[in-house]
Amino acid sequence: MATAQVPQSSSAHAAQQRPPLWRDAGVLKWFAQIVALVLVVGTLWFLSTEAVDNLEAGGISPGTEWLNGPANIQLSEGIDTVPNSAGRALWSGMVTNLRLAVIGIILSTILGLAVGLARLSNNWLANKAASIFIETLRNIPVLVQILLWLTILTSIGALTPDRGPISGWLIISQKGVSGPRIFLADGFYQWAVLMGLAGVVTYFVRKSLNAKRDREGGTSQAGKATVAIMGVSAVVFWFINPIVGFLGTPLQAISDGWGGIPQPVMQAILSALAAGAAVNWIRRFLNSRRTPAGLAKLTDDDYFRMIFAGIAALLAVIVLWRWWPGLSSWIINSGSDFWQVAADKFGDGRGARPLDGMKPTVSEGRFANYGPTGWTLTVFAAALLFGLVFYTASFIAEIIRGGILAVAKGQTEAAAALGLSRSQALRKVILPQAFRIVMPPLGNQYLNITKNTSLAIAVGLSDVVQVGQSLANKNNQFLTVFAIWMLFYLACSLTISLIVNTINARLAIVER
Amino acid sequence: MAAIQDDLSMNLEAGGVAPDVRPDTPVKDPVQWMKENLFSSVGNALLTGVFVAVLGGLLWWFVGLVFKDSNDWDAVATNIRLLFSFNYPAEQYIRVWFSLGMLLGAVSLTAAFFDINPSMSVRKLGINASGLGATSLIVGVLPATPSGARIVFLIIGALFLAAGVGTLQAVDEPHKKFVSFPTMLLTFGLSVVAFAWLVPIGRNEFANGAVIDEGGFANPSTKIPWTIMMAILVGVYFLARAVKPMLPVKPVQTFLITFWVAGPAFLIFLVLRDPTFDYDRVLKVDIPWAIGFAVVGGAILYWLTKPMLGEIGRLVAVALLGVAVLNWVAAFFGWWSMLQKTRVSFLVLALFALAAPTFAGEKSARVRYVGAWVAVVALGHWLITGINTTSTLDIAAPPFLGGFTISLVIFYYVMLVSFPLGAIMALARTSTLPIFRVMATVYIEFIRGIPLITVLFFFSSMVSLFLPNGMDLSELAAIFIGYTLFSAAYVAENIRGGLQSVRRGQFEASDALGLTTSQRTIFVVLPQALRVSIPNLVGQAIATFKETSLIFIVGAFDFLRVANVSIASQPDYLGQNLVGLLFVSAVYWVFAYSMSRASRSLETKLGVGSR
Amino acid sequence: MTASFTDPNAALSPELAARDDMINCRGVKKWFGDFQALKGVDLTVKDREVMVVLGPSGSGKSTLIRCINRLEVHQEGDITVDGIELTNDLRNIDKIRSEVGMVFQQFNLFPHLTVLDNITLAPIWVRKKARVEAEATARALLERVGIPEQADKFPGQLSGGQQQRVAIARSLAMEPKIMLFDEPTSALDPEMISEVLDVMKGLADSGMTMVVVTHEMGFAREVADRLVFMEEGNVVEINEPGAFFTNPNSDRTKLFLSQIL
Repeated sequence: MATAQVPQSSSAHAAQQRPPLWRDAGVLKWFAQIVALVLVVGTLWFLSTEAVDNLEAGGISPGTEWLNGPANIQLSEGIDTVPNSAGRALWSGMVTNLRLAVIGIILSTILGLAVGLARLSNNWLANKAASIFIETLRNIPVLVQILLWLTILTSIGALTPDRGPISGWLIISQKGVSGPRIFLADGFYQWAVLMGLAGVVTYFVRKSLNAKRDREGGTSQAGKATVAIMGVSAVVFWFINPIVGFLGTPLQAISDGWGGIPQPVMQAILSALAAGAAVNWIRRFLNSRRTPAGLAKLTDDDYFRMIFAGIAALLAVIVLWRWWPGLSSWIINSGSDFWQVAADKFGDGRGARPLDGMKPTVSEGRFANYGPTGWTLTVFAAALLFGLVFYTASFIAEIIRGGILAVAKGQTEAAAALGLSRSQALRKVILPQAFRIVMPPLGNQYLNITKNTSLAIAVGLSDVVQVGQSLANKNNQFLTVFAIWMLFYLACSLTISLIVNTINARLAIVER
Repeated sequence: MAAIQDDLSMNLEAGGVAPDVRPDTPVKDPVQWMKENLFSSVGNALLTGVFVAVLGGLLWWFVGLVFKDSNDWDAVATNIRLLFSFNYPAEQYIRVWFSLGMLLGAVSLTAAFFDINPSMSVRKLGINASGLGATSLIVGVLPATPSGARIVFLIIGALFLAAGVGTLQAVDEPHKKFVSFPTMLLTFGLSVVAFAWLVPIGRNEFANGAVIDEGGFANPSTKIPWTIMMAILVGVYFLARAVKPMLPVKPVQTFLITFWVAGPAFLIFLVLRDPTFDYDRVLKVDIPWAIGFAVVGGAILYWLTKPMLGEIGRLVAVALLGVAVLNWVAAFFGWWSMLQKTRVSFLVLALFALAAPTFAGEKSARVRYVGAWVAVVALGHWLITGINTTSTLDIAAPPFLGGFTISLVIFYYVMLVSFPLGAIMALARTSTLPIFRVMATVYIEFIRGIPLITVLFFFSSMVSLFLPNGMDLSELAAIFIGYTLFSAAYVAENIRGGLQSVRRGQFEASDALGLTTSQRTIFVVLPQALRVSIPNLVGQAIATFKETSLIFIVGAFDFLRVANVSIASQPDYLGQNLVGLLFVSAVYWVFAYSMSRASRSLETKLGVGSR
Repeated sequence: MTASFTDPNAALSPELAARDDMINCRGVKKWFGDFQALKGVDLTVKDREVMVVLGPSGSGKSTLIRCINRLEVHQEGDITVDGIELTNDLRNIDKIRSEVGMVFQQFNLFPHLTVLDNITLAPIWVRKKARVEAEATARALLERVGIPEQADKFPGQLSGGQQQRVAIARSLAMEPKIMLFDEPTSALDPEMISEVLDVMKGLADSGMTMVVVTHEMGFAREVADRLVFMEEGNVVEINEPGAFFTNPNSDRTKLFLSQIL
């Protein structure tokens, strides 16, 4: 009872002697913030109206309609080199960026790991070579490296049908690099479904084998069993994959059902999801503020966060119903299309081979070029990729070395004192801890490589920035192009940081 | 892979250091050394084999690349001035040399007055020399090396190897004897001078529109200035060491720090201004405004820092802020016009006024605060004049500013301005005030999510759209603003890392002492945070320096464009971009590598890593 | 004269003298660069003996016991543990490490594993025990060191004393013949020291062979069979506790005792 009395009396006290407004810390704090907000928002609003006015004075009305109009440009490469609309051209550029980013991330991780481990080796030569690699490559700007690669590759020699280094298999010339290609053939999706099933079986077999090891001791056979099951399934299913062709029918039904959802229903579902997410967030937030003694006193900041979550949900609902109803029908249509595509992958008449391969070819004629059969990297893409991969790998190597060395020496000693072998200590004690240390900076490097794909413009490769730039030079729609760049890169960055943060949260070491 | 893993764990066990050396065997014999470090096990020997092959192949390829028949290194030699300072008129070059001399002198003074004297053990020196000699010998033996260069490589390699091995053999306990910094500095200076005068590197230059390409010794216009530069570097160092006991060290150190912050702005100004420029305007406009702001603003601030001034001070500060904001609004709507630096000065004065209560105190504290304001006025007016004034030099072919100089200028200005901006944003992001925090977070994450090149495009091609009619911005200024705003977000993240490392106890102790929030931030939290974030900030500075190469893409005539485009399109050197790019890489490498080495030794000195 | 203080078999009671040698060091020398940490140490530890090593910091105590399970490599002399000679032979090193447990000053628990996983890691992967059995042993050991309720927590959630007791349990789980303690209480707050020392006393009572580097004089006097005093890499005196504290042979020992007691 007494505790209930005290705050009441103190608040009454406060109410009687409220300080004048210009001395009230609570009022001043919010006043300053709101003034700052108004200033920033006002300036941005003023600048953007100014920009729109300036553009319209020059006869250009900023908008997105032109994206459906003709592009009138040719792309150096990509999924569509002669796109029929500006939007399609930008999309093709984005796919090029994403492809380069994914390949770049994979290759630079492998190279960086190898160099980082070599840097830790006590073989003097390996150690020195790795340190020269790192110190040379990370101190030269990546753009300079890309241009160097371009110069080197374009001076490497003309393309002829019998050009090597391995004639008929791997061809390197001033037109780029071409090699044999493995691609997904008709039977792949059936085979993938069956391999998925085999994966499930393997999971349970592994589980029971590990349980047996836990009960009876000894060494687990799980590794060998996995190799055996997956290996045998891969071979067997290679030949019998058409047996799951019947899956086409149910997938078709899902596609039809999805396409039949009326738009208001989809809008309602999405609104419910947004509202549910906000409510859920607030509930979890309140729970986190709950102490054993009851709900902790909420600060201004806490209220602000909850109001912020509510406003975000409200905005989402308004967008769905009022401003952009097309979003819902787009989800309906593309969802239906997705299932339709999946259904088309199954069904009768599909060939039995899941994967197929082709050797590179060189087209004859006055201007020899690579044929469509092989896997080909144009000289521009090769220069960009080499530059990005070598540059980023030098950073990744340092990160990996730092991560492993950062695991305290005592950990290695304790593992050794317990009799763990070197590889056991590495696998069970050092690497799990190093991984946590390495993950955030590694994610940063992945972000960097994704952003650096925009340097494609320096070598004349048609990525989203280069395509946007040449489109905007023609129609002066800089504002829209800039917005598209921002959205694209922000989406990439958010995806990568989401993945990294999720992994990080799962790995966090519990402290007091 | 397994071999590497095995080695890795071996090395971890030894704590990543070389195996212990017994005192009775100080210098290991090479066979035993190789056995321990290259062939300690089968896996290790295999690894050695693989790396010998890889390294040999790479060296072969690289030497072939550098000495390719189609390469014409005269392209770089002839265009060296174009690369470094673009179209800067030759008869005005004395100003560039003067600026370089000032910088080198400042380097020497800094080394002397901050007691920076890195020394190297004789053992390390011997090993480095023999390593260099061995590499040179290998290059000399490789078939890719042209026969002319082969002899040079072989001779240099033999000399270095002999010197290195000889030193190691002749000196007892070489790991305990050190070569001092003055000796190294002197040797460096003398070698540069000797190289310039005694080695027949040939003459290459453009003179009167013709390419000069002949043998013999270097041009006097190359070797005389370099001799003077080395004389300054070495002479100032020894002079400073001699007079150091007679001078108060602390003020000199403060002067040097100020020079490193503000001096380059002065030098840039010096390089770009014509000697016959408009002194009248400086006397009648620039200086009076600066003095006016310094005196009147100083008086206001002196009054505002009076202790216990109360609300009236705050009201004055808010009024000043109102005037400052109104000036910008007026500029946009064209109500009245004034000099750009006047607007900026009003804004900074208002910020100083707002912060005044934090620094209120005794007379000496108030004088120091006013002194800071005067310094900021002086520096700010320099900066704005420097960046906003095009050169009045009579240069035939615009643009006037280019080559490596523009990279350095952009780098300097971007670091200078983005640092305070970043600090403010880091404070906002860690603040308890939610709107500030959200705004800072959105800004930082937005900028960090997009590539620099899109920001540069935005500012170089779109900024004019955002300005009202009649206002314009030079392309270089637009690039600079875009780059600064970009860099500030990264600086903010680095400082935020430092802010988060400050312990809670520090906050509590400051509160218990009765410091206000801003006093706590400025006197307790920020100094600790900045100290922790120094290594990351230097890393960020190196990244910024490397990324100055991106201004090439938005059309500036920087180093990279000269090497990749300008030289390669000269009739004498058509298509010679490989040599240019190799040269550019080497220059960038030297700068970035020295910066990272310096930051590492700074880190050890501050003991940041060991905490 | 001095040889008698430092004879490895000095001050052995008849009962101890009759037992087998567990650890035998002969002329062990070790350098770190120019600094010589051990200058020829001779030492014998008998089966089920508790030997406490004393000495000022920097005297080579820790280096000595770290050499015994080869966390440091000695450069001259011989070390034999339970009849196995410590050489570069990996098989011998692995064998000795699984027979010799070690407790560190800084605990060195694995922060990414729970207490239970910390204890069961080596039994499962080195001894190839069944997990069920290893966990049962681990819980029994946690009971023995007095913290059965902490099994599923992470090391970062425990107090220093609790962490050190987990570290002891982790070593015991390998069923070692010998336990080495490297200043196990130096990193602990005063109120936590006794809980760790109690566990160690219990261990000594159960007949474990122990070599303990410590500054806890009370523990040394009460539990040790013999005391070793080291200074500047040399063994200065080996004596039984009573004589060591009341009537030490060496002047160096007297000086040391007068400084700390």
